[in-house]
Amino acid sequence: MSLEFLNAFKFMKKNSILHNLDPRAKLVFSIVYTICALLFTEIIPLLFIFLSLVPLILIGKLFKQWIKSIRGLSFLIIFIIILNTLFISLSFAIAMILRIYIMISAFSIFFLTVDPNDLALSLISMKIPYEFAFAFSLAFRFVPTIANEAQNILDAQQSRGYEMQKKGLINQIKNLFPLLIPLIICSIKRAFNVAEALESRAFGSRKERTYYYSIKYTLKDWIFTMYLLLFLTFTIFIRIQFNFLPEFLMWSLPV
Amino acid sequence: MDLIKFENFYYRYKGNEEYALNNINLKIEDNKFILLCGETGSGKTTLIRCMNGLIPQFYAGFYKGKVEFWNGKNTVETPIADLSTEIGIVFQNPENQLIAMNVEHEIAFGLENLGVPVKEISKRIKESASITEIEHILDKAPFELSGGEQQRVAIASILVLEPKILILDEPTALLDPYMANKIINLLNEIKSEKNISILISEHRLDLILPFSQQIILIKNGSIIEHGYSEQVINGINFQTLRLNKPVIYSIFSTLKKENLYNKNIPASIPEAVRSLK
Amino acid sequence: MATEIPIIMIREIAYTYPNGTEALKNINLNIFKGELVAIMGKNGAGKTSLIRTLNGLIIPTQGNIYIDNESISSKSIATLSKKVGIIFQNPFHQLFSNSVEEEIKFSLKSFVLDKEEIQIRINKILHEFNLEKYRKRSPLNLSGGESKKLAIASIICRDPEILVFDEPTLGQDAKEIEFFINLIKNERKRGKTIIIITHNIEFAYEYLPRTILMTDGQIIADGPTKEILNNEILIQQTSLILPQIWQFRSALKENNFPKTGDILSKNALISYIRNYLKNKSLKI
Repeated sequence: MSLEFLNAFKFMKKNSILHNLDPRAKLVFSIVYTICALLFTEIIPLLFIFLSLVPLILIGKLFKQWIKSIRGLSFLIIFIIILNTLFISLSFAIAMILRIYIMISAFSIFFLTVDPNDLALSLISMKIPYEFAFAFSLAFRFVPTIANEAQNILDAQQSRGYEMQKKGLINQIKNLFPLLIPLIICSIKRAFNVAEALESRAFGSRKERTYYYSIKYTLKDWIFTMYLLLFLTFTIFIRIQFNFLPEFLMWSLPV
Repeated sequence: MDLIKFENFYYRYKGNEEYALNNINLKIEDNKFILLCGETGSGKTTLIRCMNGLIPQFYAGFYKGKVEFWNGKNTVETPIADLSTEIGIVFQNPENQLIAMNVEHEIAFGLENLGVPVKEISKRIKESASITEIEHILDKAPFELSGGEQQRVAIASILVLEPKILILDEPTALLDPYMANKIINLLNEIKSEKNISILISEHRLDLILPFSQQIILIKNGSIIEHGYSEQVINGINFQTLRLNKPVIYSIFSTLKKENLYNKNIPASIPEAVRSLK
Repeated sequence: MATEIPIIMIREIAYTYPNGTEALKNINLNIFKGELVAIMGKNGAGKTSLIRTLNGLIIPTQGNIYIDNESISSKSIATLSKKVGIIFQNPFHQLFSNSVEEEIKFSLKSFVLDKEEIQIRINKILHEFNLEKYRKRSPLNLSGGESKKLAIASIICRDPEILVFDEPTLGQDAKEIEFFINLIKNERKRGKTIIIITHNIEFAYEYLPRTILMTDGQIIADGPTKEILNNEILIQQTSLILPQIWQFRSALKENNFPKTGDILSKNALISYIRNYLKNKSLKI
C-alpha cells in the first residue's frame, strides 16, 4: 500500500467555499455521509450517495487529491472484491466497495479542508479540554515532519547496506527494527524538545486562556448543515420505505 | 543590574552519577551581549535550561544551591510560566519549536497561554514581526519557510513575551554562513532597540566574537572564566580550550608569541585593522 | 590525470521530486580517484539531492552516472552503497543496536565474511576510532561527538571507495574537527575519494582543495577552493561569506594599507603583517 494514500488526508490551504466552512459543519458532513453509507447494502442507493459527493469535491477543488486516495485504495478494493464474491456475491462486493469509497471520501474531504488549528478550536467548542485538542492538532502538525524523518532514516540505513526484506513474515518484522528504533528514539527526543519549548512559552499555565483566532457558525454553515440534515432524513426515509419503492433500486448483478 | 544569579549551584540529571554542573557562581547582567562557549559536552545546554526553571522543574534531577532573579523570583519556587515573561529561550532546532499552522498564530501562542487580551496580542505581534522583519510571511505555514525565516519566527515568538533577556542555544547551527551572519546582526539590533541582554551559546565563534561584550567559558560543567571579551580572548583559558577559534585569533596570537604584537588580540576584522594602525 | 578516467562521471542529470520541485538541473561533473572535494551552496541548492544520486537513493529523471566506468542506472542501492558510503548529518537516524559492536556488525551484514574476518574488522575500526572503551555500550548512551564517530565508523568499516559526508563539522568543537581532519587524511592516503558537503568556509578553505558551488539545482562554479572562495560575486550568489583571510585583506585595502594585492594566501597574510609590524617598530 503506497504511502501516497496518506496524501488524501493532508490539509492544504485553498480558497474554496468548502474550505471556508466551519469545521464543525464539515464534521457533521462526514458523520451524515457515513451513516447514509451504512444504511444500505444495495448498489443503486449507494451509487446515488456516492455521486452526490462529486459536486462537493469539485466545489472544494479537491479532485486531484481525492483521485489519489481512490487509487491508493485500489489494492484493498481488489482484496475485498475477491473475498466478498467468494463468500456472498459480486453485487454485495460492489456495494461494499461503494460503501468504503463513500466513508473514506467523506473523511478525506474533512481532513483535506479543515485546518488543524480550526480542528482544535472546534474540539474546544465542544467542551473538550484545551490540552487534548492541542495534542490532537500538534499530531497533525508533526505528521509531515515525522514522515520526512522516516525517509531520512531509510536513506541512512540503506546507505549502510540495509535492505527491505521480501520474504518471511517474522523476518520482515525483525527487519523493521533498524527503521523503527531510530524513528521512535528521534520522536521521543523531539517530544522532549517540543515539551520544553512549550513550557518555556507558558503552555498550560492558566485556565483562562486567550484564543487569538476563533471559529463562528455563519449563515453558510447553517445552510450547509440544514442541507445535510435534510439529506440524512431523506435517506433514512428511503431506507424505511425501501420495500415499497420501485424495483430498480434493489437491482443487483445476477451473480 | 544582575538579571540572573547562580549561587553555588550544582545539578545532575536523574539517573546520572556525574554532576552536569559543578559549583556554578555566575551573574548575568542586563543589557549585555554575552557569548557562552565551551567544548561539546561541557554543559552549555544544561546551563541554559537552568535559566528559566526548566531545571529543576521540567528536568527532574538533584540540585544544590540556588538560581535567583533580580526581582526575587527563583527557579525552584516560581513556575516556569511566570518566568517565561522575564527569560526567553530559543532552543536549538526551530523545527521543534514552531507548533502553529501559520506564523501569526505562532507568535501569538505564548501570549494566548498567558491570557493576554486579543487587542494587546495583535499589537505585540505587529511589533515583533516588524523588528524581526517577518511581516511579509505572517500567513505562511512554518514548514514552508526557509531555515533563516524559521529562526526569525522562533525569535519573534519569544520576543513577543517581552523578556529581559533572550537566550539562544546554537542559533546558527542549521543556517548557511550568510543567513547566520544576518541573524546575529538582527540579535544585536534587538539588543539595542529593546535594551535586553542577549546570551548565545555557539561553536561558530568567528560570527559572534565581533558582537560579544562578555564571554563565559565553561568546561566540564564548571565556569572557568567570565569576563569582558577583550580579557577572556587574551587569557590562557581561551587559548587552551579546544574551541573553533577565528583565523584572525590564530594569526594574532602567533604574532604575539613572536613578540611582534603586544596589544589585545582582536575579536573582529575592523578591530584587527585598527590595532595595526 | 588527463588520460585517467574519472571515478565518478555525471552526465547531464536532472531530478524533479514527486511534488514538483526541480532539485537538479543539467548537472555535469567529473571527480577523479583520490580527490578531496567540497560541495557548497545555499540551503536548498541541491547538494544533498546530488549526493543521493551517487548511491541510488535518488534515480535521476534524465542523464547518466558512471562510477568506476560503469553505469549505475541498473544497480541497486545495496550494491552501490558498497562503493559509495554516505554519512548523513544526524547519527541518530541510524543508531539502533544493543551495543556499539553490534552496530558495526550490522553494517557488515551485507558482506560475505566469516566470523573471524568480521571480528577483525570490528576490532580494527573500534581501535581506529577510539571507541574500544564503548564496545559493549549502547550506542544511544554515547555523547553527541562519540555517536557521530560511530556513524562514520559504521560506514568506513565497509571500506567503500568513495566517501561522502553531509555537514560533518556541524556542532563540533576543535578537537572533534581535528579528529575528522586526520580521518580524511588517512582515508585519502589509502586512495579513497572524498566528497564533503559543508557550510564551514574556514574548514573548506584550509583543507579541501577543490570546491563545487551549487545554486538552484545547478553547478555554477567548480575549481580550486582558494580561488572560488575569493570570488565575491560567487560568494554572494550562494549565500556564503568570504573566509576571514580575504575579509581581512579587503579591510586592509579599504584602509589604504600598501600592496595588499600581494596577499594571496594565509601565510602571505601573516608575513605581510609580520613585516608591517617590524617596519612599524623600526620607525619608532
